[in-house]
Amino acid sequence: MTDVHVVGVGMTRFGKHPDADSTDLGAQALLEAVADAGIDPRLIEAAYCGHVFQGMVTGQRVLAQVGLAGLPLTNVENACSSGATAIREASFAVRAGEYDVVVAVGTEHLTSQFRGALTPDPSDPEAAVGATMPSVYAMRARRYMHEFGMTREQLALIPVKNKNNAALNPLAHFRTRITVEDVLESRPVADPLRLHDCSPVTDGAAAVILMSDKAKKRFCDTRAVRLAASTLRSGSVDVEPTSMTFEPLTRLTAQDAYERAGIGPEDVDFCEVHDCFSIAEVLRVEGLGLFGQGEYPAAVQRGEADLGGRLPVNPSGGLLGKGHPLGGTGVAQVVELVRQLRGEAGNRQIEGAKVGLAHCRGGKAVGIEGAACTVQVLTR
Amino acid sequence: MPRIDAPSFRPGELEVHEDGSGNLVGSRCSSCGAHFFPVRDACSGCLSTDLETIGFSTTGILYTYSVVRQSTPEFEVPYILGYVDFPEKVRIMGQIRADLDYLSIGMPMVLELEPFGEDDDGNPLTGYRFVPQESTDD
Repeated sequence: MTDVHVVGVGMTRFGKHPDADSTDLGAQALLEAVADAGIDPRLIEAAYCGHVFQGMVTGQRVLAQVGLAGLPLTNVENACSSGATAIREASFAVRAGEYDVVVAVGTEHLTSQFRGALTPDPSDPEAAVGATMPSVYAMRARRYMHEFGMTREQLALIPVKNKNNAALNPLAHFRTRITVEDVLESRPVADPLRLHDCSPVTDGAAAVILMSDKAKKRFCDTRAVRLAASTLRSGSVDVEPTSMTFEPLTRLTAQDAYERAGIGPEDVDFCEVHDCFSIAEVLRVEGLGLFGQGEYPAAVQRGEADLGGRLPVNPSGGLLGKGHPLGGTGVAQVVELVRQLRGEAGNRQIEGAKVGLAHCRGGKAVGIEGAACTVQVLTR
Repeated sequence: MPRIDAPSFRPGELEVHEDGSGNLVGSRCSSCGAHFFPVRDACSGCLSTDLETIGFSTTGILYTYSVVRQSTPEFEVPYILGYVDFPEKVRIMGQIRADLDYLSIGMPMVLELEPFGEDDDGNPLTGYRFVPQESTDD
């Protein structure tokens, strides 16, 4: 069976794009990925498009925009893991031997769809009593503080770290450095979370070109990065209440990925994780086994997750700093991994990185721990 | 407690009795005894489809909570939202009516029926809120 390689990446600026839509953004990212791979776009045999709120046939609209209409196209909706799931589906098509060259694109024009807090689907019993995504994470933050003694100031160090990384990323939604005081003085959203603890409403798109061993050798050997694992799970229904400060869903999805990639958490050099809220980064990296349970806040305080630290977390700025265009997010994480592993990450470059991990997790439904979770491992 | 005649805001999830009391409704697996909220078609523990619909207890323990200060237009902010663990081993989210200064993780909570929203024609509906048990003792 062939390995799968990422040979081209593209990404729009993340932020507010009042003069564009999800088609424009997806097309721009796709064309950039083709140019980055340096290939004739006619080599592309199939396409996968991740998005959440962009309506029917979003992927077909993107392909029509760039002259590639007619390809087999699959639209993928999997909440905040939509883009990552599109990459996974694309990688399966290559691994199965069906295609040698495929593109996965994730796009979202969220500012035209939402203002303020995202909520679960209106049919959900928790939405009916007023659940919002910030409030669910706020409740997890309060419980984590109760169990592990994390302070509000410690939690604030996460948006500070990520937004300061984003200040180094020319494509990030936020480019301004912030302080702990800025976080603590920002508007309360759902106690104890404040505005700087929440990822913004962002427009943006990203795309990656995947190739088989054969195609990679022929067309783009030198800058390819291997997609060593791309795993997916959905949350299970608990038969009794479990801790909301630990994520079995993240742990299981990561274990699948470590096994597939033939590595352990100790081999990961850096990661992009789904920091939709400050507390989410804590829960993710502990669920991934990269830090012990209850230990991440102190590790952040010691600088271990900084760009120059033991294990940089969200060097791109993460969802908090780079922004969170739902469908675009999972693909953009892989774009960052590829740029870091190629040594093309500019002034946020992590020296000598060989193994990068990306984690997405999204969606909320009553009674399940989480909806969709993906982990991708890229190696150079 | 005042009698509430308005229909439930979530039929099938909240029972409203003649005497004005009420409870949340879910499933109990006849095979392994696991409980679920809301009603399920099959048990996630043993996959049995032999589930009975039951009413849950009305007292539980506060697992965690938040004060929501930004929400959708249907909900007037701020409001307190929390998860309560019930003896049937189900964790259910609901709004909380309490003095924030006295609210703490681990405290006993009671489910009470209260007016909660309106139907499409503007008629009032009955919902539930959790309140600290101490404040219901007198």
